[in-house]
Amino acid sequence: MSHFRVFFKKEMVEHIRTYKLLIMLVVFFIFGIMNPLTAKLTPELLEKFMPEGVLISLPEPSSIDSWAQFYKNITQMGLIVTVLVFSSVLSSELSKGTLINLLTKGLSRTAVIMGKFAAMLTIWTASLATAFVTTWGYTVFLFSDDYSANLFSSVFCLWLFGVFILAVLLCSSTLAASSYGALLLTGAAAVCLAILNIFPKAWKYNPLSLAGKNMELVTNSIMFSSLSYAIGVTVAAAIALLAAAVLIFKRKQL
Amino acid sequence: MSVLEISDLRMSFGSHQVLQGLNMVVPENSIFGFVGKNGAGKTTTMRIVVGLLKPDSGTVKVCGEEVVYGDTKTNRHIGFLPDVPEFYGYMRPMEYLKLCGEITGLPSKKIKERSEELLELVGLKDVNRRIGGFSRGMKQRLGIAQALLNEPKLLICDEPTSALDPIGRKQILDILASIKGRTTVVFSTHILADVERICDRIAVLDQGILVLSGTISEIQKQYQRNSFMIKFATADQAAEFSASEELQQLGVKVVQEENVLAITIEDHSLRGQVLIDLLAAKQITPEKFEVVEPTLESLFAEVVQ
Amino acid sequence: MDVFKEYWPILLPLIIAEVALMLAALRHVLKHRNYRFGTRAFWIPVVVFIQIIGPIAYFIFGRGED
Repeated sequence: MSHFRVFFKKEMVEHIRTYKLLIMLVVFFIFGIMNPLTAKLTPELLEKFMPEGVLISLPEPSSIDSWAQFYKNITQMGLIVTVLVFSSVLSSELSKGTLINLLTKGLSRTAVIMGKFAAMLTIWTASLATAFVTTWGYTVFLFSDDYSANLFSSVFCLWLFGVFILAVLLCSSTLAASSYGALLLTGAAAVCLAILNIFPKAWKYNPLSLAGKNMELVTNSIMFSSLSYAIGVTVAAAIALLAAAVLIFKRKQL
Repeated sequence: MSVLEISDLRMSFGSHQVLQGLNMVVPENSIFGFVGKNGAGKTTTMRIVVGLLKPDSGTVKVCGEEVVYGDTKTNRHIGFLPDVPEFYGYMRPMEYLKLCGEITGLPSKKIKERSEELLELVGLKDVNRRIGGFSRGMKQRLGIAQALLNEPKLLICDEPTSALDPIGRKQILDILASIKGRTTVVFSTHILADVERICDRIAVLDQGILVLSGTISEIQKQYQRNSFMIKFATADQAAEFSASEELQQLGVKVVQEENVLAITIEDHSLRGQVLIDLLAAKQITPEKFEVVEPTLESLFAEVVQ
Repeated sequence: MDVFKEYWPILLPLIIAEVALMLAALRHVLKHRNYRFGTRAFWIPVVVFIQIIGPIAYFIFGRGED
């Protein structure tokens, strides 16, 4: 068996037994349910708690509101939980020294980084798919309209942004000494992207657009093709970050 | 043939020079005790040998092949037990050995056979719980099992006994002694009793260089002193002999303890025979006459200042 | 109760997921003695009474080694 497959298998076992897979799936499932439910119930609850006699006219909620909840929750809480869950993916092994035995058996350091990334990618994909399918199913169940467009292309953008963030996290972990350091670096990277978005022209290339323009895709106000530069930059950046992670890790004295 | 050859190895951390031109050769099938004070550079040397640290200069050869820092091929000949081996707490011993075996590239049938054999050897055969709950001694024994999995020519153990209680220590030493002849063992320690118990060769590291190396009997011969122990019938007789003019003329150092005299003749050209002649001239028949062998402890104290 | 009657197909799975997460965390708290942070007396109420966030916080910050 190749080292990559061996280490990927070990990573998956680790994520299952240390409850990381469970947390991710349950959290994203709960998010998936909450989105259409919040969209549906918010107007009703507002009406109930309004004082007697006050008349408010709220627009009838639609599938658009449900997807708005989805992109708000996943891009904020969803990504934060993901980064927190995986923040110690490398630092715990380095601080405890669990890799020493395996590396002195000839395990390649490239396989360590790639195996870790592939396992995080698998769990992120499965979790996002869980949230997406749940929200989709209940949105269809609760709102029988066809206002929402570009469902797959918009969730693809969010998925790709998540992949990019995981690459940032892994690269940060090879640089930082602790999981807090890795979190800090990842947060700093996110802040940099947000600052970049101040320049109006930057959004076209900014990976952050993949997590910010989703609703505009759903409401059909922008074309998917307008994000193609941002997608290209994100893919290139993710690959570069992974290559950097491998190079840094190879030079690291353990 | 020598399994491990280290020549002119230098390494420093910052301004602190840990290794200052270390030369060392480990012949095949020996149990090699690597002795030195804490901080003498033992762990550094071992980590360089397994390619975890990059030396400033010098070469290390394992089975004739040079060690390269990073992904080194020489590790296929080596089993390594770090000073505090760490495992994945959520795995069971068999699973962990399977992971190690897959990395080494052994076929799965062989991994299973070998794992069972090794867990039996280290006394963890019936322990089928997660490693997270293991004691230090159990982890150390599992560490030996993982190190021996690929049937290495050279087993390197970094202070395998220093953190253990006496029973744990004995278990580890027994395991190391039992693989003698099949595998060359290099283990570092600062406990000389461990070395005396199982080693046939010893190297003493001090301030980054080797100050002493060879087989234990060679070293003892080399550091042989003209020391003798004579047991007399009574303490008075011993005192009388000790005070005699003829003895003092030989140039000796005498320590008396009841009816026993410990005598060191400072003139190296003289043999023990002079003492026997003296006893005969005084018509004394001692109860016991013994040539005192130097202990490792005294040797260690002598070479490591 | 009206709300529940109307929306049970959506509320029931939500409650099941929350309870499952709570029970998994509670079981882990009770089976282990060492936590990276906090004590048993701290984690039990956190896990039981703070829905979703409590168990997640436990698994991410509080869970000790096996």
